Amino acid sequence: MKPSKWIGTLAVLPAFSIVVGFMAFPVAFALYISFTKTNGLRYEWRGLDNYIAIFTDPIVHQVFLNNFKFLISVPLVIMLGLISAILLFEGIRGWKLFRVIFFLPNVLSVAVIGLMFKNFFGFDGAVNQLRGVFGQEPIQFFIDADYSIAIIVLALVWSGFGFQSLLLLAGLTSINPAVFEAAAIDGAGWWRRLWSITLPNIRKVLGFVFIINILFTFSGLFGFIFVITAGGPGYETTTIDYLVYLRAFSSNNLGSGAALAVVLFLFIGLLTLFQNKVFKLQKED
Amino acid sequence: MSDTTISAQLNTRGRLPIFIGMCVVAATIIYPLFFILTTSLRSNAEYKADPFGLPNVWTLDNYITLWNQYGIGRAFTNSLLVALTSVAIILVFATLAGYSLAKLPVFGSKYFTAGFVSVMLIPGPVLIIPIYLVLARLGIVGEYSGLILVYVATGLPFATFFLTLTFRAIPDEILEAARVDGAGFFRTLWSIVGPMGSSGIATLAVLQFLGAWNELIFALILIQDEKLKLLTPVLASIGKRFVTDQPLTSAGLFITALVPLLMLAFASKYIMRGLQVGLSR
Repeated sequence: MKPSKWIGTLAVLPAFSIVVGFMAFPVAFALYISFTKTNGLRYEWRGLDNYIAIFTDPIVHQVFLNNFKFLISVPLVIMLGLISAILLFEGIRGWKLFRVIFFLPNVLSVAVIGLMFKNFFGFDGAVNQLRGVFGQEPIQFFIDADYSIAIIVLALVWSGFGFQSLLLLAGLTSINPAVFEAAAIDGAGWWRRLWSITLPNIRKVLGFVFIINILFTFSGLFGFIFVITAGGPGYETTTIDYLVYLRAFSSNNLGSGAALAVVLFLFIGLLTLFQNKVFKLQKED
Repeated sequence: MSDTTISAQLNTRGRLPIFIGMCVVAATIIYPLFFILTTSLRSNAEYKADPFGLPNVWTLDNYITLWNQYGIGRAFTNSLLVALTSVAIILVFATLAGYSLAKLPVFGSKYFTAGFVSVMLIPGPVLIIPIYLVLARLGIVGEYSGLILVYVATGLPFATFFLTLTFRAIPDEILEAARVDGAGFFRTLWSIVGPMGSSGIATLAVLQFLGAWNELIFALILIQDEKLKLLTPVLASIGKRFVTDQPLTSAGLFITALVPLLMLAFASKYIMRGLQVGLSR
């Protein structure tokens, strides 16, 4: 006698209904809200008005551009992650401890990481104190847009590279060791092996890491921005996800914020589809 | 290095630069944290006089101030309560769903699995406005039940996916034997699936706890009452108010970082293993 299908189905339902109710439904609801003017109590149907307003809003243009500025963290984080992964891959004594240390920032809250960097670059923070040691005047870093972006990028790189190095290390360990042995017998040196064997063999993982970092730049910066600069000076460090938050809780029209969220969702969805397509193609060759 | 396939073909001379390189990278991570810790244990005046040396007078004053005047102890226990409750609920529901999807016949199981996987792609910012409005309609904005519901809903997709993979590794023969012996659904879950999947469940518990403990956005927008606030929003507001008191904010940073750091120290095995499964999606 096979067990009845009902027991299993009933056991899946609690988890599934919570996920549908508080993740899938809210997305659909956001779509509806984006077509209305609303304060959360009354909903007035406005068609595409919110979207038209977004696409003609100079602040939105600037904020979207800001997101692209933060993309500079992607090559940096991957570079550093790759270097750490290659170091770890040599498997010298204590590499497991180093792996845990590299990963350490990933268990910290974005509130902690953000405030750390805000502190370090504050007026009497460590960086200015260090400048003082060399007889230089302290700088107000956060009134300058370029400095502010650079500091957030630094925080992203510091906290993000360890995770990338684990991803890349997983890619490295899946390379067939026989390839390395053959190359060593042929007399290929360490650098030669790195360039001709190691790197080409992990290009898929590199591509994957590249895409998830771009996705993160468009949807995961809220905490960093909120804690480090609060979007300032002006809107210079405001990103789309932070603007969604600003619009949601400081304007009388939630519809506008929801429309922005929907545009972000579509953008990320397209990137994900693109990623899937690229990876399918790679699997075939 | 026997347990991994690592190239390890460098001679001793070649290893030294690698070791030094790793030490440099490790220092960029350890030193800032060490700096935060020493700064938190000194007075503001002393910090301003000599920020990079060790404290002349070690003091817990910053911690005491945060505890007595800014309610960080209360925020700490609030966070602990919310995170532990969320994890407990996630574990129960994800175990039920994961076991069923892994080992039992389920109507349309393909669609359930696809559903859990596809909602994992929803970016957090999209949920802010609608979740707030839905919880407002239910009258639980500002209450822990609403926040916990959000943590459970956002944690469950990965949790279910993870436990489905974990439980799939349990041999069918053992479950079959239990069924022949007359063990029902819950009995099998409790005496066989739970114990055999315990390391996967522990991994998941650690990961989900870290997620809830570290979360900022929803903790910030859903809980307004000072007495109920969680640790991360309290830390953020301390950071905004005391820009010129680095030792005080450093103490707040260390308190918030302490729990995750301890978990990494004692459960790094589980965290690293969990990541490997997390990556395979």
